Amino acid sequence: MIIDQEKINEAIRTIQEYGGHGILNCVQCGACSAICPGVKAGFPLLCRNLIRHLLNGQLEEIIEDSSSWGCQACNRCTEVCPQGVRPQEVVFAFRRYQGNQLAFSTSAVTSQMNLYETGHAVYSDPKELRKQVGLPEETPTSAFDEKARQEIQALINAGPMGELGLF
Amino acid sequence: MDKIGLYLGCNIPLKAPDIEQSFRKIFPALGVEPVDLQGATCCPAWGTAPSFDMDTWCAVSCRNVVLAEQANVDLMTGCNSCFGILSEAKHYMEDEARRKRVNEKLAAIDREYKGSSEIYHVAHVLHKKIGVEKIRENLKYSLDDLKIAVQTGCHTLWPSDVFTIKEDNPYQPTILRELCEATGASVPHYSRLESCCGMGGMRSTDVEKSLGLFRDKLLSIKEETDADMIVTTCSSCFLQFDMSQPILKERGMIDFEPIPTFYYTQVLAMAMGFDPAQVAAISQIDRSGVIKEIQNEKRLVKEVA
Repeated sequence: MIIDQEKINEAIRTIQEYGGHGILNCVQCGACSAICPGVKAGFPLLCRNLIRHLLNGQLEEIIEDSSSWGCQACNRCTEVCPQGVRPQEVVFAFRRYQGNQLAFSTSAVTSQMNLYETGHAVYSDPKELRKQVGLPEETPTSAFDEKARQEIQALINAGPMGELGLF
Repeated sequence: MDKIGLYLGCNIPLKAPDIEQSFRKIFPALGVEPVDLQGATCCPAWGTAPSFDMDTWCAVSCRNVVLAEQANVDLMTGCNSCFGILSEAKHYMEDEARRKRVNEKLAAIDREYKGSSEIYHVAHVLHKKIGVEKIRENLKYSLDDLKIAVQTGCHTLWPSDVFTIKEDNPYQPTILRELCEATGASVPHYSRLESCCGMGGMRSTDVEKSLGLFRDKLLSIKEETDADMIVTTCSSCFLQFDMSQPILKERGMIDFEPIPTFYYTQVLAMAMGFDPAQVAAISQIDRSGVIKEIQNEKRLVKEVA
């Protein structure tokens, strides 16, 4: 692999802009990967190995890899990192880079649409189940509150998610 | 009576409203009145706004927190992900520049985030505000000689530096164990106590990897505890244990019957005498045997009004 300083700078700048501020503190000790459920489950590009690729300037090269979407955001890595990297923030910064380039699976589109249309990322009609257990059929949430839905749509439209062309 | 804002999230009110009903039954009986946060939305889940833009994440999260602020109450959620998301958003809002930007977004919908409401998990309210002693005093049935394996889940444990309310040691969580022990049940330790169940982004990204991780944890529970039931305070862990055990069984990847799984407040509600048809009615796994056993006449400790 040819190491290109321009590409390294671009990768680091991108990750830091998307919230991975601690990436340059990483010394590749691997404490994060040792405790990461995603690494244990077999996702190839999380924690130490993801950070290694980014520090080598390999940003575009790994844009299609789905590992970051398998991150549980559990933050075990953040807890153990001796360098204050907060690796989960780096993983999510990379995910945000992918997300804003629309490099994610179609299954992830559904939850964005649900959030926008109902205010709930996970939505199914709850009326029958709620009636069964003796609750009012309608939840006191945005699902049955037009004003709340308008508010959340306004918040989403006012940021980069509104420009993805999904809604 | 103490009041607390009941932030429902998504899975509990929409997919598992029997868990919501268990909150509404037990909390007033234990001296805490849940107040609805009308118009609350998703926290927003990790796979949505947090995966695209931090300011949008903070704006949506803080709108939910503002609903509690405006009602002058702290906020309580039964969902670990919601607890993690809302707590982290509050943490990020300590950055003055972000706070200003996000409050500009909120101003457009006539809201302002002040940061005056604390984020509690249901387990925290039970353990720290109500306390195990009061739980014991309100039992109608004792779960003596029943064995529980506990599943705390991830998002109330890490990163501990952003949580105000937390475990003494996130690697050795004790809150749920003590809450379960308060019902009279025994709660044996198992080696993968704090390991991840594989739900969440992992399951929606790669279900086979998720099931693999889940199976490791489940085998540890079965072999090391042989529990009568699994009890969790995470609604996502609940769904994973309830829907994925039957899948493993059907595929021949486990050689035992799926272990009945409950959200903690469902077990407590039943132990307090509430109707299982309202508080523990929805599951993939057949839980009727253990439900009947919990409310067995021989377990009666006293009559509560």
